[in-house]
Amino acid sequence: MSERPGRRVVVTGLGAVSSLGIGARPLTAAIREGRSGISPIEAFDASGFTHQRAGEVRGFRPEEHLRRIDPDKWGESGRFAAAAARLAVTDSGIDPDELSAMRAGSSFGTNGESAVLVRLSRQWVEQGLDALDPAQIGQADGGRVAAAANAELGLTGEAQTVGTACAASNYSIGYGFDQVRSGEADAWVAGGADASNRTIHAGFHRLGALAETVPRPFDADRDGIVTAEGGVALLLEPLDAAVARGARIYAEVLGYGITCDAKQMTNPHAPSIAESIRRAHRSAGIKADDVDYVCAHGTGTQANDTTEVAALREVFGDRLPPVSSIKSMLGHTMGAAAGFGALVCCAAIHDGFLPPSATLRRVDPEIGDDVDCVPGTGRDASPRVVQNHGFAFGGNNAITVFGRVSA
Amino acid sequence: MSVTAIDVVGCGVVSPAGVGLDALAEALGRGAAAPPAAPEGPDAPGGEAFPGSGARAVTDFRPAERLGKRGLSRLSRTDQLAMVACGQALELLDRPLTDEERPRTGIVLGTGAGSVRRWAEFTRDTFVQERPYMVNPSHFPGTLMNAAAGQTAIRFGITGVNATLAGGPVAGLAALRYARNSLLNDHADLILAGGVEELSAQTAWAWERTAGLLPGNGVGEGGAIALLRRGAERPLARLLACELGFADPADGPSGVGRRLAEAVRDALKAGEVDPADVGVVAVGGAARRGWSAAEERALREVFEGAGPERLRVQPVLGETHSASASLQLAGLLARWRGGAPGERVGLVTALGPDGQAGCLVVLRG
Repeated sequence: MSERPGRRVVVTGLGAVSSLGIGARPLTAAIREGRSGISPIEAFDASGFTHQRAGEVRGFRPEEHLRRIDPDKWGESGRFAAAAARLAVTDSGIDPDELSAMRAGSSFGTNGESAVLVRLSRQWVEQGLDALDPAQIGQADGGRVAAAANAELGLTGEAQTVGTACAASNYSIGYGFDQVRSGEADAWVAGGADASNRTIHAGFHRLGALAETVPRPFDADRDGIVTAEGGVALLLEPLDAAVARGARIYAEVLGYGITCDAKQMTNPHAPSIAESIRRAHRSAGIKADDVDYVCAHGTGTQANDTTEVAALREVFGDRLPPVSSIKSMLGHTMGAAAGFGALVCCAAIHDGFLPPSATLRRVDPEIGDDVDCVPGTGRDASPRVVQNHGFAFGGNNAITVFGRVSA
Repeated sequence: MSVTAIDVVGCGVVSPAGVGLDALAEALGRGAAAPPAAPEGPDAPGGEAFPGSGARAVTDFRPAERLGKRGLSRLSRTDQLAMVACGQALELLDRPLTDEERPRTGIVLGTGAGSVRRWAEFTRDTFVQERPYMVNPSHFPGTLMNAAAGQTAIRFGITGVNATLAGGPVAGLAALRYARNSLLNDHADLILAGGVEELSAQTAWAWERTAGLLPGNGVGEGGAIALLRRGAERPLARLLACELGFADPADGPSGVGRRLAEAVRDALKAGEVDPADVGVVAVGGAARRGWSAAEERALREVFEGAGPERLRVQPVLGETHSASASLQLAGLLARWRGGAPGERVGLVTALGPDGQAGCLVVLRG
């Protein structure tokens, strides 16, 4: 489909640690059923907050999934990233020893080791800076998120941690795509990870951006996001290599586009989002009409959903493809969010369905009643080309495009 | 000549040496001196008391003058350092950016964990205020690692690729590699790429509590931003190769050091440079306990002996963590402004406790 030189890049492994299950299969099954991963907060003491729900991972025992790294030596985000990476590699069927001997690296999007930073901040408040725990200090840097994945898989290529907030995973996928396409790497693990924590929860709480019960993206009565956590990973490799080893191919990465609003830190900006969509289409070598489904950023705030659909209209005119938000089920997993979107896009192409906006009751008239938001449960369909949105505070917009690989 | 080279056409730098490459060149010429016990000067960071074991603040920062007083308190010191360094770099263009160029211009910054002080103070309020959500909403964006890149984009109206890479002491090279990828794959035509680290009592105490610095070294701060494009006519320098690698940190500094040696070899090969032609290595680990020795072993292995001269910016500027690799590159450029006439090629090396290692090959312009 693309005229651009370089190798075709495909997704052959999916890994997830999520509020809807551990592993890509339980997650995608739950998504198709429209189930909710939202529950009362357990990761931190939420007393005193008036909103006390989040999309938290339950029943995750890192030692059951991690073969190489000692979970006690890594922060929560790194453990999510490493476990998701391990799950993606296992899912791909690639020999892990062969993988670690290849020119292979990883890139993960994240807000960093937020839970570690909260513990250190608390030590400062309660005991003073001279009592900071050296072991926690050693686990605090954001760069440890991709590092955890590399260490777990024994990868010797670069470990790039992208700190571009809620758009970061699409950056990490785009970067990995370029590395494999250009031949700088022969395999790549791309994804994202973030852990539930009181700082981010407090920030969104204070902005009035938290939903009362569940997120209802695109709904007339939507009232905000629900904070969430998880880790997600995609194994990328050249199409030729995947075919040669008889791998299951979920989808092809067709391209990506990035823009920055440069207007305001917290409000989305439709023209800039529209430009990132156009860039992604150009990069993928497709036209707007080729797109069969949009996996929206769809946070469920008033501002995001209206702006996002306005941007889509700018590009697609009155021929909007179905648009839905998996945040209706997972909540907002921050730096992992676009990675979960990408995983679900790959599953949608491979398994043949459209993910739902599970909590949608009535589409906001301001968004337009002509928009097909796939309410309720997943829909059987055969999407060939899908696009995945990720936007962030800071004005960052990143869009990835995936396509079916014809047999 | 490598077809994957990227040119440096300008460099903005803000550090304890002052603002600009000339101030940095002068400071490097004067050499190391003992750091003050705590940061000094009118623009030094306030807040909690420092541990007293050495801290250098940026000299001649004057953020209110350079950035204006309006909205300044909303910006973290990290945001301010990035904006000043990027502004310096943009001033080195022969003309202002046009509206056509802005969407094809990017900002790529390296970081450790963003503004640690802003994160810590914001989080403190969740513990000490009457209700945990009684935080300062205008400080929330500044807790995120991408705040500096976003604020800088707003300041200068730069709407192209905008990315933040976290990698501690290797972050400056991570940013350059990300920027290089964006340029080579036609996602941008011009990129401001570098690293920024702010000095705070929180981070100074983190160094103190981990006993991370070698004796005589203090914590520092600063930022350096290289202005990058493809195929410039008269570049300051040409980046011939930038290779990053990883070794499991569970194996300690020696394992990461061995990976660094491979990265240096790979980078020299990719840049088509004979090790004998390397005139100087701007090293990353010079102030770090355990890591300086690992880096030296790697370089001795590659160069089969002592090899080229080492440029150590850390004893002059302090340990600047995620700004370090960018300040090392700035140090090379400063050194080459009129000095070291025989040198044609320099390296920037970096390695760190999270397992990353990297090497940049720089050809003098």
